[in-house]
Amino acid sequence: MDEQALHDHIDSLRAASGSAAIGVQIFDYETERTFSHEGDRWFHAASTMKVAVLVALFHAADMGRVRLEDRLHVRNRFRSIVDRSIFRVQRDRDADSAVHRRVGRSMKLIELAEPMIMRSSNLATNLLLEFLTPDYIQSTLKKAKVDGVQVLRGVEDSVAFDHGLNNTVTPSGLVALLRLLREERLFSESARSRMLAILLAQEFNSMIPALLPDSAQVAHKTGEISTCTHDAGLVLLPGRRPYAVAILTEHPPGLDDTQKLVAKVSRLVYEFITA
Amino acid sequence: MKVVDGLTLSAEHRALLRPGEMLECDGQEAHRLPRYFYEIDSWAHAKETQLTPHFTLSELITVDCREADLLLHSFPHYVPCAVIVLARYLEDFRQRVEAPVCVAVNGGYRSPAHRLGGRPNPHIWAAAANIYRVGDTWLDSQKSIERYARIAESLGPEVYVRPFGFNPGETDDHLHVDLGYLLSTPRGYSELQ
Repeated sequence: MDEQALHDHIDSLRAASGSAAIGVQIFDYETERTFSHEGDRWFHAASTMKVAVLVALFHAADMGRVRLEDRLHVRNRFRSIVDRSIFRVQRDRDADSAVHRRVGRSMKLIELAEPMIMRSSNLATNLLLEFLTPDYIQSTLKKAKVDGVQVLRGVEDSVAFDHGLNNTVTPSGLVALLRLLREERLFSESARSRMLAILLAQEFNSMIPALLPDSAQVAHKTGEISTCTHDAGLVLLPGRRPYAVAILTEHPPGLDDTQKLVAKVSRLVYEFITA
Repeated sequence: MKVVDGLTLSAEHRALLRPGEMLECDGQEAHRLPRYFYEIDSWAHAKETQLTPHFTLSELITVDCREADLLLHSFPHYVPCAVIVLARYLEDFRQRVEAPVCVAVNGGYRSPAHRLGGRPNPHIWAAAANIYRVGDTWLDSQKSIERYARIAESLGPEVYVRPFGFNPGETDDHLHVDLGYLLSTPRGYSELQ
């Protein structure tokens, strides 16, 4: 499959699915080839922004600013970036309940990072984001020369949402972020290895990995809200270097099979890469 | 527990604990910080130290990584002597509610160097506790907080509880109980320099 064919297939899938937009960015370490389909289009980040929080946490640890084994008070109480009003993460809307069970007590920073990625814990995310601060996360991304990832606020800040203040990403931004896990630009080898292990332990595997061969390992992070379904990750295949891919979709609320759409695009990308 | 005069501590500890210093609050109030501390040589020591039948020292000094690095990571730890008085009040409270009383992390003693911010408050004197749970009841609603606030207030006029609410000085996810800016000078020790 050539690049034009991949563009055409993605467009066909988008049209057939009823989605409003699909953005795809690929970087293949084997060939150093880049592919971009609406790669610089901005999307609501949903939970893909949690990778940026992970990266900033490990950067803070590498810089000696924090220790990953240090403990943080688990408190479900956050302030909106708009008016400082208080909001809480709804337990029944959070994919992970383990962190909620620790309210009042403390957890190690690394113990928060793991459920933030592996089970997309919103509470863990907000705790780490509040601790690190959005400014620190953005400064880490700037230092890493990662454009295309904007982290403004925590999850479920509905006042900010109503004001149109959201975390946003582009497919190329997410791929640049994932490349930090492979390249010796910002992190120690130990940090890269630990972040990769956390992303490899992802428990939500119905998108990028779903239609890939069993031999594929995927270090990835999904993100879903009512109008967006995303997945971004590093795909590790036997006998070749990995590729980084971000597949972001935007669609009307309530659209069916949006995860399947991402899985199909992931399969197309795999066929393109391995052709 | 061994009592130490904070003025004899290392320069690094004095800079963080500021023993005996006057602490200004918004330029309108000033309170003298604790000078006498219990010396805790290990976390095991804190867990083994039963201040009252239901409260160990460790429960009242647990902080997170917003505490100053030296005070968080190295022993000995130093805890203002008023912590024993706080424990006695919490024990009385526990007897009245007839259920386990859980004090939050950062919700007992924390040093003046703790990065949680806000106005100086009796936590720095080891004279305040943030209770987040009583038995199976989470104190995260107006009803539960006010119910247990009334019981805490019934311990005596010296007990202050923050009202329920979302503004500064109010609480919405725990019950804050304090005894004011309580200083304890153990017998045999002096306020003379």
